[in-house]
Amino acid sequence: MVAGSAFELLWLVPALPLAGALVNLFFGRRLGKAAGALASALMAASFVMSAALVVKLLAIPSEDRLVVRHLFDWIQAGSFNVGVGLRLDALSAVMILVVTGIGTLIHVYANGYMAGDPRLGRFFAYLNLFVFFMLMLVLAQDLLLLYLGWEGVGLCSYLLIGFWFDKTENANAAKKAFVTTRIGDTAMMIGIVLIVTYLGSLDFDRILINPQLTKGAATAIALLLFAGAVGKSAQVPLHVWLPDAMAGPTPVSALIHAATMVTAGVYLLVRMHVFFEISGIALTVVLAIGLITALYAATCALGQDDIKRVLAYSTVSQLGYMFVAIGLRAYAAAMFMLVAHAFYKALMFLGAGSVMHGMHEETDMKKMGGLIGRMPVTGWTFVVGALALAGIPPLAGFFAKDQILEIANSTGRNLVYFLGSLGAFLSALYMGRLVFLTFFGKPRSEEAEHAHESASMMTIPLVVLAVGSALAGWLSLSPEGRMSTLLEPVVGDVPAGAAGMAAGTLVAVAVTLSVSALLTAWVVYASGKIDWIALRVRLAPVQRMFARGWYFDDIYSALLATPGKAVAAFTAYVVDLRVIDGAVNAIGTMVQRLAGSTRRVQTGLVRSYALAFLVGAVGIFIYVGVRF
Amino acid sequence: MRTPIAAFIVLSGILFSIGTVGVLVRRNALLIFMSVELQLNAVNIALVAFSRMRGSLDGQVLAFFSMVVAAAEVVVGLAIIVSVYRRRQSIDVDEARSLKW
Amino acid sequence: MPLDNVVFWIFAPISVASAIAMLTRRNAVHAALFLVVNFFTVAVFFLILEAPFLFAVQIIVYAGAIMVLFLFVIMLLGVDREESLRERIIAQRPVAIGLGLAMAAEVFFAVRAGIGFARHAPEGFDAVNAGGNTQALARVLFRTYFFPFEVTSILLIIAAIATMVLASNKTRSITRAEAAEAAAAAEAGDDPMQDAR
Repeated sequence: MVAGSAFELLWLVPALPLAGALVNLFFGRRLGKAAGALASALMAASFVMSAALVVKLLAIPSEDRLVVRHLFDWIQAGSFNVGVGLRLDALSAVMILVVTGIGTLIHVYANGYMAGDPRLGRFFAYLNLFVFFMLMLVLAQDLLLLYLGWEGVGLCSYLLIGFWFDKTENANAAKKAFVTTRIGDTAMMIGIVLIVTYLGSLDFDRILINPQLTKGAATAIALLLFAGAVGKSAQVPLHVWLPDAMAGPTPVSALIHAATMVTAGVYLLVRMHVFFEISGIALTVVLAIGLITALYAATCALGQDDIKRVLAYSTVSQLGYMFVAIGLRAYAAAMFMLVAHAFYKALMFLGAGSVMHGMHEETDMKKMGGLIGRMPVTGWTFVVGALALAGIPPLAGFFAKDQILEIANSTGRNLVYFLGSLGAFLSALYMGRLVFLTFFGKPRSEEAEHAHESASMMTIPLVVLAVGSALAGWLSLSPEGRMSTLLEPVVGDVPAGAAGMAAGTLVAVAVTLSVSALLTAWVVYASGKIDWIALRVRLAPVQRMFARGWYFDDIYSALLATPGKAVAAFTAYVVDLRVIDGAVNAIGTMVQRLAGSTRRVQTGLVRSYALAFLVGAVGIFIYVGVRF
Repeated sequence: MRTPIAAFIVLSGILFSIGTVGVLVRRNALLIFMSVELQLNAVNIALVAFSRMRGSLDGQVLAFFSMVVAAAEVVVGLAIIVSVYRRRQSIDVDEARSLKW
Repeated sequence: MPLDNVVFWIFAPISVASAIAMLTRRNAVHAALFLVVNFFTVAVFFLILEAPFLFAVQIIVYAGAIMVLFLFVIMLLGVDREESLRERIIAQRPVAIGLGLAMAAEVFFAVRAGIGFARHAPEGFDAVNAGGNTQALARVLFRTYFFPFEVTSILLIIAAIATMVLASNKTRSITRAEAAEAAAAAEAGDDPMQDAR
């Protein structure tokens, strides 16, 4: 640990967005348009602060790169202490740069996107509050503080998905997101309690270095924490909330449901990787879930017509890849993918928002087409993001995905490699479909013909993010690249293996897959040689299955929601109304009847009372007399 | 003095009981009040008798206080009876029975 | 038989008889007069018990002041007419008399079990009453019981003020709600004052 005066200001990084949130919450209405400017300025300040601190951190020799700033004691109960402390190491440095950097761009963009909304102050308050909680999550020195941030971002996610709550659909989506992630959060809380039980502390300094745990305990803790990550990062089977969460404003989708909050699960697992490694089996579970999610969500993305839902399923799929990387113990690769994904997915969400702006809030891709000529900046930046995701070198996504597959290959997990490549192919396919349907071909509606480019406040962040998406690969050109070197003190070495094919072969295979997928998409959706609408009708059952996400929602509502509502109705109308109210009413009636009969004792005749008095007096006299 | 103390106490008890019965059987508020005075006097006899038995004046002092209190009580009580009579034109206690339920 | 014994056994029956007579009189004035007789007998008992000061006070305060006050009120209210002795509350009278007898019996047995019937007062109360009963009483009252004695003065003042307040003929002005209620009751042919009858 290094003491440095500059690091004393670490608390400012989360404090600035919190200040913005408080000001906007209380004075947002009076600030009017200034609310957005204030929020963005504070975010930018927070980003500059973060960047400066990270630069200072990088000046420290890598094995000493850990700064802990204890702010105050939070809970003191016997030997169990929880303090509020901030921890800046390589891992949280990466996270705060992503959160504040992308967050700043999205704030700026939101100024344009949300212009004219009557509750602008409220919106930016929530957005700033979200960033505050996210920063607490990644900077926490303590698992409980991390959990506080974890729940805080969940709350903000709920508030922002339901920001336009006057639509029932949005309110329901918000509720669904909250309840679904809650399932994972509860499991995570149990995991935290288990850690306290076994290790007696939640301080990262104490629980992450050689925790004395049996394999079984480590497995239980790891799987419970993973359950929390599954909820937050929308992995199968708790992924159902994320596509619906697209009901929120698009900047929210970009910030929370693509770039930052949903990656909190990845961060958590990387941070707590020690437990997973002790367990071993937990890593396999993570790998399996990640792989299933990656493939499953990619197929779902193929079936969506709503541009934001394609991106949502794409996000789920990409998060699956990150979990695959964690399952392979390639933590640096997971973090690198997180960063790269944050760039290109935020870019594409913001691009989709820009498209919606130009199309009068239309999100159905069937009604788009040919937008590239009318919205050149949005269109070309979007293409950059899509190519990055599809895995075309030298864009960031190529390196990210390729590293994961390379590690899978070199450690001899051929099934993982094969399925991962299949997922990559599908990713390129749905990305191609999205781009060709939206930006190329002929306009398929009035709105598409008259679409217009968005204001520069929205396009400038797009350009910045596009540059980032293109260049982020520089961070890690190979599995042993800069990201690995940076994170090595936190997560250890990259798993090495000599099996599998040579690196050059892998790159060739990956590029061939991506390009062929994009070509397929072009042939089907933009060349005009194939009537894709007819194809769609012919493949209707498959298409419907993909579109509905393999009927997960229907299964859940049949298995859980319907019985749940029945139980709720039973408790409300039978237990509450009859049993509980009945008991209360029965007591009331009983008292009333008893009073009705006993009130006759109260005759109002003072002499009767006096007689009763005398009966008592004589009675006591007799009692005393008998006693003595 | 050759009279047994017990005689005074028993007499006191008899008078007290008569006063009690008077309170319970008479409907006239004034008669009830007189019966209460009778009870107070009965107690005074007992107090003075005990004072004599113990060879101390404390009982007599207590009887004295009891008389003072009785005087105050009679004054207030009679005032109440007067005001009740003004309001209801009756001092029958059975008729003042609205304080019920 | 000593003299005090003779006096006691003459006055005790008078005392009991006058008490019973008081509560069986239909006329309040007669009852009050029998009560005066009873008060005089009580005064005699005080004299036997060597409490001459209380004897005087009993006659002056009770037989004098209080009974005069009683008679005064009886006359003032004009209730000196014969009244019915019929009991209207079921079982009130037999139960009351029974309990009264029970209480007297209890006192009897309590005295027998406690101080015993043969117990006589010690001789030599003169030493206690040295210098006269009044002076002796004054010594106890103004030394040991000085504070309670002063407190009784407050009690008497409060009683005097209370009496004046209660007896003043000022009637409270009726609220509008009460007036409306009374009017409604009158309309319904139902006097709220008569509800007990």
